[in-house]
Amino acid sequence: MALTTAPDPTRRGPGSDRAHAERRGPGRFRNSEGLAGYVFLSPWLIGLMGITAVPMLLSLYLSFTNYDILTPFSEVQWVGLANYERMFTADPSYWHAVRVTLTFALIAVPLKLAAALGVALLLNRAWRGVGVFRGLFYLPSLLGGSVALAIVWVNMFNRDGAFNSLLSLFGITGKPWVNDPDWALETLMVLAIWQFGAPMVIFLAGLKQVPTELYEAASVDGAGRFRQFRNVTLPMLSPVIFFNLVLETINGFQGFTAAFVLSNGTGGPVDSTLMYTLNLYITGFTDLNMGYASAMAWVFLLAIAVITAIFFSTGRFWVHYSDGEDR
Amino acid sequence: MHPATPPTTNAPAGRNHRTALPRRRLLRGLLAVTVAAPLMFGAAACGDDDGGAADPNAPVKLSIFWWGGDARAKLTEDALALYTKKHPNVTFEKTWQANQGYFDKLATLTAGGNPPDLFQIDDNYLAEYAARNTTLDLTSYQKSGKLDTSKFPESLWQYGVVDGKLAGLAAGENTQGLVYNKTLLTKHNLPEPTTGMSWEEHIAWAEQVTAKTKVPGTQDPSADYKAFWVWLRQQGKDLYKGKELGFTAEDVTKWFDLWKGARDRKATPTADVIHEGNATDITKQLVVTGKAGTSWVWANQMPDLKKNTKDELGVIAYPGDPSAQWARASMYWSVFKGSKNKDVAIDVINFLNNDVEAVKLLGTDRGLPSNLDLRRVVSDDTTDPAMKQSIAVEAELTQKFGASPQVPIKGHSKVKSELIKAAENAQYGRATPAEAAAQFIEACKSAIA
Repeated sequence: MALTTAPDPTRRGPGSDRAHAERRGPGRFRNSEGLAGYVFLSPWLIGLMGITAVPMLLSLYLSFTNYDILTPFSEVQWVGLANYERMFTADPSYWHAVRVTLTFALIAVPLKLAAALGVALLLNRAWRGVGVFRGLFYLPSLLGGSVALAIVWVNMFNRDGAFNSLLSLFGITGKPWVNDPDWALETLMVLAIWQFGAPMVIFLAGLKQVPTELYEAASVDGAGRFRQFRNVTLPMLSPVIFFNLVLETINGFQGFTAAFVLSNGTGGPVDSTLMYTLNLYITGFTDLNMGYASAMAWVFLLAIAVITAIFFSTGRFWVHYSDGEDR
Repeated sequence: MHPATPPTTNAPAGRNHRTALPRRRLLRGLLAVTVAAPLMFGAAACGDDDGGAADPNAPVKLSIFWWGGDARAKLTEDALALYTKKHPNVTFEKTWQANQGYFDKLATLTAGGNPPDLFQIDDNYLAEYAARNTTLDLTSYQKSGKLDTSKFPESLWQYGVVDGKLAGLAAGENTQGLVYNKTLLTKHNLPEPTTGMSWEEHIAWAEQVTAKTKVPGTQDPSADYKAFWVWLRQQGKDLYKGKELGFTAEDVTKWFDLWKGARDRKATPTADVIHEGNATDITKQLVVTGKAGTSWVWANQMPDLKKNTKDELGVIAYPGDPSAQWARASMYWSVFKGSKNKDVAIDVINFLNNDVEAVKLLGTDRGLPSNLDLRRVVSDDTTDPAMKQSIAVEAELTQKFGASPQVPIKGHSKVKSELIKAAENAQYGRATPAEAAAQFIEACKSAIA
């Protein structure tokens, strides 16, 4: 295995590594330190190569074949661009999955960020017991993409679930949310939004970084609460917003577990929760079209890369880094 | 992750006894990694063709994989332990899990070059595996008598033949069974359904049940391929003919229309409840969750269903002429073509099917025993009332069974899920039966192409 292609270890580890290396000085030590670095990296490196990089490249190759999992590699046939052609011209359920995923991401991601920012603003005060609330709001996101949580969700939002019992207190007859093709995806969105803890914590950290003198100056100039928020908080927070936006968008596109559990792995009812990754999984493992599924994965990777690139290129118009002024 | 003290801080003082130790440990660790890595990757490359072991007494570890619940696991483990008792050189590496995800796992194991020697499979996937040469052709073993099928019903073992090869041996026999809630009917003085009722009569009966009990009379089986299949056979059609579909869009429209009518008459639950019941999971079947009067299942699932409800259950054939049903191999045992222990695997299959003690242990959990002599023994021995019921209905139907259809072809699993999608589209009222049928046919064509 080519150890030499390893990325610079200092990019992964804490910044202090580099500082150490430079302080150490003489080359002899630097080299042995470099070796030790690689040795310590090796579990990760072997993992990266064996579990991520090699299979990824293999899947690129497979995306041009008719690989079906069961046939041995040696008998796999090269089909050129047929898989990609099929995806773009002859597979309505593929485009359906793209639509479902876009709908999910476009609605859930902004709402999740808004909820995270809103709660972060509320918790960014010196109230008594505010730490407890921070913990409580963060808790759901610790449970992450857990299967257990998805099961709880299904039971809360089915016809005789807790949510409908709550509604019935107000005389409202609920719907079988998770089993209704018009509402199943929305139920998943609510689950995603509810797990706003991770971006919230990052927002909180960001809010602490905003210099108080800016607020003082603003209030001296007669800016009210809202103006302060719009003209001080938001610009100062924009790098954090940007970070959260990129991360959550990628997460949103990759939503799988909840959709899988809610639909018993089918994407149902009537494909309403057929997220891109779920469709990919079904294509590869249930329908045994692994070559085609690999092609889907690569298009997905490219799509996410393009979207992220768009974020980065538009970022310079609205993301405000205060570094320059600080120095 | 990050050591408190960088290891190299000690490096300059290498002669120092105390600090040399971590270094040595480090090297040893590195060595272990370099040795282990190729081993790990190399393992994936094994599993090539190799005949059976020459020495019959050499120790053999046979891997075996099946789906099912705790009860099946217990029975199977007991039967395998019995085999080990008789053949001390053979031990088993047993893996089992629920049906959901089973075939994903089996496919992944196969892809990894590490499939089990012996695995359970059903007609939904048999052709997928056989067509890709994953399963061993058992014909020669059957001919040589190592695999004894002389006591099997002819049609039963033949239902394991794909493209002229015996791809799997029936681990048991079952047939479609309509399970109904007896307690509910008795409580409201309603008649029990009977085998031979027409589909129209069944729906009318269900409508009456709904009206009296407020529990929807029957689950809507329009998304259920096995109900659709029986119905097709009653129309002189079939699910598949050779490599083609055995039905047309008109047939599907008629089938969807039949059930749209039933829904309109409130003979079935609402679409969201039907959807719940469309899951294959036993515990979600509407007859046990109390959300409908019937469920469309396999007759051998009776005991499992019974475990999930306090109500008394009954089981009959699907509506219409019961000769459309057949002695189906409920599931098969198949041997991986590249297995190193083919002969042992064959012998284990033979044992599980033809050894009186093993068959008694296994009971009817995988369906009625394939061996007719032993089926009689087991039927006489059975005390579980639910099991008795499923034996009784199958014994009755054995007289009426028609010829077996061909084993579903490659692409069938996709056809199955497309039927669910199309039927649910009609159930939720998002498409007319004709639209849903057209959509289904279109999807099937690309699935089996």
